[in-house]
Amino acid sequence: MFRKILIANRGEIALRILRACRVLGVESVVAYSEADRESLPVQLADEAICIGPADAKRSYLSASAVISAALVTGCDAIHPGYGFLSEDESFADVVAAHDLTFIGPSAAVLEKFGSKAGTRELFAAHGLPTIPGSHGMLRDELHALGEAERIGYPVLIKPSAGGGGKGMRMVRTARELESALRVCRSEAKAAFGDDSLYLEKWLDENRHVEIQVAVDRYGHGVHLGERDCSVQRRHQKIIEEAPTPALSDAARLELAELASRASVAAGYENVGTLEFLVDAAGAFYFIEINCRIQVEHPVTEMLTGIDMVALQIRIAAGEPLGFSQPDVQLRGHAIEFRVNAEDAAHDFRPGAGLVERYHAPGGPGVRMDSHLFSGYDVPPFYDSLLGKLIVWGPDRTTAIARSRVALDELVVEGVATNVAIHQAMLLNETFLEGRMTTNLLDRVGSAAFLAAAARG
Amino acid sequence: MPDAIRSEAHEAHAEANAEGRAVDRAAIAESIGELLPALIAKLGATGLAELEVRQDALRIRLRRPVDGSASRDRRSTDRTDRADRGDRPGRAGSAASGTSHPIGLSAVGPGRDGREGGARDDGRAVATSPAVGIFQPRSSIRAGTRVRAGDRIGTVDMLGVPQDVVAPSDGVVGANLVEPGDAVEYGQGLVVIEFASATPGADPAGSPVAAAAAPAMTDR
Repeated sequence: MFRKILIANRGEIALRILRACRVLGVESVVAYSEADRESLPVQLADEAICIGPADAKRSYLSASAVISAALVTGCDAIHPGYGFLSEDESFADVVAAHDLTFIGPSAAVLEKFGSKAGTRELFAAHGLPTIPGSHGMLRDELHALGEAERIGYPVLIKPSAGGGGKGMRMVRTARELESALRVCRSEAKAAFGDDSLYLEKWLDENRHVEIQVAVDRYGHGVHLGERDCSVQRRHQKIIEEAPTPALSDAARLELAELASRASVAAGYENVGTLEFLVDAAGAFYFIEINCRIQVEHPVTEMLTGIDMVALQIRIAAGEPLGFSQPDVQLRGHAIEFRVNAEDAAHDFRPGAGLVERYHAPGGPGVRMDSHLFSGYDVPPFYDSLLGKLIVWGPDRTTAIARSRVALDELVVEGVATNVAIHQAMLLNETFLEGRMTTNLLDRVGSAAFLAAAARG
Repeated sequence: MPDAIRSEAHEAHAEANAEGRAVDRAAIAESIGELLPALIAKLGATGLAELEVRQDALRIRLRRPVDGSASRDRRSTDRTDRADRGDRPGRAGSAASGTSHPIGLSAVGPGRDGREGGARDDGRAVATSPAVGIFQPRSSIRAGTRVRAGDRIGTVDMLGVPQDVVAPSDGVVGANLVEPGDAVEYGQGLVVIEFASATPGADPAGSPVAAAAAPAMTDR
């Protein structure tokens, strides 16, 4: 096991990693930017070190600042969390070159799964049906138009780096593609420092279902069930739940087992998420693998009782999984609501500022992962996630009922949030029947959606 | 710096100025350790404002605070805190528990100076770290050297790439808040720059301070 871990992230995930380190009895250091000096992870840290100014490019995204901080504080491993440097294989390489361990897959594994197009081909060779897409990155407009023609419209433009909906656009015609390419390139460049884009076939009315896998260094792998992340707003997940209402129990199990077998066979290592699109007929297509801990990992923790972050750290330290597939029991139903600093009443304008009052809900099966506290000043420089409300129940109906109570109880005063959209969702017939698709919110329009809920 | 310097901090402002590169550091440290307590006692017993002794290449000058005001006292104490921090290599920021923790951290950042509101008024400014890494002062810069805003007074090595530490204002180099080779965090106070007007007895060998104010550094 590691001696000391540098936590190279902020917000709720920094707090989550800090807690996992404590459970494992490993020392940790929270690396923070000047804008996060007063943040909860820094306050609760055993040790904290300022790595740069508010500008993420000079702090959380600066490989040299992060590695320098790990070296001067005597750490032997770096946990990148999600976003920032978490999927940057060149970062993992530099980390290894300084005799530090990157908590995630090794640099060699990351490189193998670094190209999204290459990963699709690799998994296709191991038996996963994959979504049709462009061969490699889009070189220029002409290449893009040719590839889109071959795949068939509508297509989704996706950035090679990162996630979170930035740099993503669905286009239905060649003309839309031409104008969207420029926007996507600049968005991807700004968000990830990498403007490579590729295309993927777009399925209307699709569901987003992902399989959580865990594979140790010795090729022993399991799946930890799936998560349904179909409730999205502009390609950003806002509600995740498990089990998915989209598939039968037999189909869910088949998909999960297929994914875990393919991950082991393809040489994946550590925790990872295989994302699939499921069409109206229940057919599934592999789209990409996320080689990091994901925002929605608590959904899986609620169902399995397994501490995903601790598991990720243990695997990176070279420990064997220590359990097998039959040991993984998926119990009940869990739903996660992302609480974002976005004004649902004003086109989800991102917010920042002083949280005058914060109260986290409680009760059976209710968990709040958040770095908020009363008096916390939300800095305007980073993403809008304020926390995650995760609610468990023995079945979906109970989980939804508990979720309504918990969302009503949650207090975040001073900063506008998207809680209203969650409350509206829990009154929406399509969601209640488990028929939500990734375009539900965007098709109806969030304003109309909120208004419909208000009318009852 | 040896403990002796800190222990007298509330009574006098001390500067140790070593000249001659060939002189062994350890020998200097030992001499200072022996000499300083005696010199401080001497200065305290007399009405002298300043006391200087030379021995071989070693020169020690003690100077009484100009007015012995509270601001001077606070400054000295502050310096002691910061020096303590520097004494723990590999540790930037304090491990204090609970809510006092961020306050402890603030002490080293530029934000604290802003909050104090008096950092520049009490005759000093602090050059802060441009990066997380290992601090090295520039060899030509020592206590008493006159500098202008923007002058490079040291570097912080971040993974082998030196980042410049620059003087935030015109003035005279005062105390180092951390030792050469110490691990420092971004924004940490490294070197005190005394304003020239507040230090009338500054090293005459230093470069003259220009009459016109140099442009302010843009690092903040």
